[in-house]
Amino acid sequence: MSYSFDEQTIKINIDRSKCPECKTKACVKGCEVYNRGILVIKDGIPTLKEGIDAKREGTECLACEEECRLRGLNAIKIDAPIPGLTEWVAKVSKM
Amino acid sequence: MQNMPKGCPSGVMVRLHEYQGKQVLSSVRIPVPAGKVASTPAEAKNIAAEINKPVAVKAQVWVTGRFSAGGIKFANTPEEAEKAAQELIGAEIKGLRVEKVLVEEKLDVAQEYYAGVIVDPGMKNRSPVIIFSSKGGTGVEEIAQKYPQNVAQMPVDVSRGVRGYDALDLVLRTGLTGRTLTSVAPIVTGLYNAFVRADARAAEINPLVITKDGKVYAADCRISVDDNSVFRHPEFGIKVARETTKPHTELEEMSWRIEEGDYRGNSYLAQMIDIPIKEEGVIGYHGIGGGGAILGVDALNRAGLKIATYTDTSGNPTASKCYRIAKLILSIPGIEGYMLGGFIYANQEQWHHAHGIVKALREMVADKPGFPTLLLICGNKEEEAIQIFKEGLSDLPIRMEVYGGERVYAADFLAQRMRAMIEEYRKERRA
Repeated sequence: MSYSFDEQTIKINIDRSKCPECKTKACVKGCEVYNRGILVIKDGIPTLKEGIDAKREGTECLACEEECRLRGLNAIKIDAPIPGLTEWVAKVSKM
Repeated sequence: MQNMPKGCPSGVMVRLHEYQGKQVLSSVRIPVPAGKVASTPAEAKNIAAEINKPVAVKAQVWVTGRFSAGGIKFANTPEEAEKAAQELIGAEIKGLRVEKVLVEEKLDVAQEYYAGVIVDPGMKNRSPVIIFSSKGGTGVEEIAQKYPQNVAQMPVDVSRGVRGYDALDLVLRTGLTGRTLTSVAPIVTGLYNAFVRADARAAEINPLVITKDGKVYAADCRISVDDNSVFRHPEFGIKVARETTKPHTELEEMSWRIEEGDYRGNSYLAQMIDIPIKEEGVIGYHGIGGGGAILGVDALNRAGLKIATYTDTSGNPTASKCYRIAKLILSIPGIEGYMLGGFIYANQEQWHHAHGIVKALREMVADKPGFPTLLLICGNKEEEAIQIFKEGLSDLPIRMEVYGGERVYAADFLAQRMRAMIEEYRKERRA
């Protein structure tokens, strides 16, 4: 039940097994306020709006993750990697 | 005294090392002394042996006054070149570590001149300007003050370029004639071609020399590439397209990779202290608005605190960009706090900063009870941003204070609050 899509530099991961139980659908409301409303509810679960090219049109607002954590069922995790950071921290921590 | 053009104040430039600049000059057939760059004394010795003449061993660092600072040594034999390189590589010159040396034939100089091209954005020109001086070796501003009759300048119509007779006319105006004039003028045309080829904002040959046997050489040069054009020049090996006085740190390189190619707002991170941090009172500083954020740094310094990073996220960056920059800052081992210094009524939607910073703090300081966190955010969507901070971080065990526009210029108050939080944090950790 995992669903994900990419924006320009981030990946939005949604654990859809939780979504049918969610009463608020706060992710979609947040997306309307802070992004361009690219996330919509289809068949009771959040889905990328049809015809949207999220890599181009997504604004990487990160709001769906926070709204879902605060008002939903903590089903969204966003990956925004920083290449090299883990290795750098490990290196400088040993110095 | 002549009015010299002020070099591109609005532009950002990336400097090439001398050896890279000379490669550009060679590509447009400007004669440069025979030589190569070396990273080890053994390489320097081999290069000197190849040249088979007395050589100059020149530290490749971005400083002026290299010779007087001990950054240029002369060697008559390959062994002497090796010794000179040994002394220079790894040494510091004016605070900059020498990684490479240029080993090149020593010139027997008869005359020194200056030739330069800069972008002059002033109302008068708004174009590249070529400057030539029949006196060289020192700064052209100084020469223009002392010997204005020896300096001439010429704006360039970029659609037309520089013709041979333009260069002859320019050089003639500085008093040179005869064979010297005809030897030197083509270098001026070539320098303009090099300037265009490198997408430069400034290109200088200083000194341009005539040797005792009558040959012309670019003895030293400086070329600065327009940072917006760096992507077109992989041959320069520039990792970070930003002006700097010293090589970029790994942390700065990571921050550049966040910014590179993502034009949605700006992010900038300068590492201000050696990492790992070996002293108390150092915080991660995250400014909004590069100029206004200085207010916070000055106040922090007055409060006896230092910053590990000077950072700016502005120009309406994405929340993901703010998140990544905040995460870089919070990843620095040894910082005793995090301060968001939004000392500006920004017209960007500040809730994106709030979402990015909340995500970074939740990931990075949830296991640091009492971690001092001071957040100042002002401007468009300020109330919403403050609400996002308070709601998003309320369950973290950190020590947090959030301020808005009412404290936008209360830099000393905020710095004192930061200091007080750090002192409390230290006491708790020592208890």
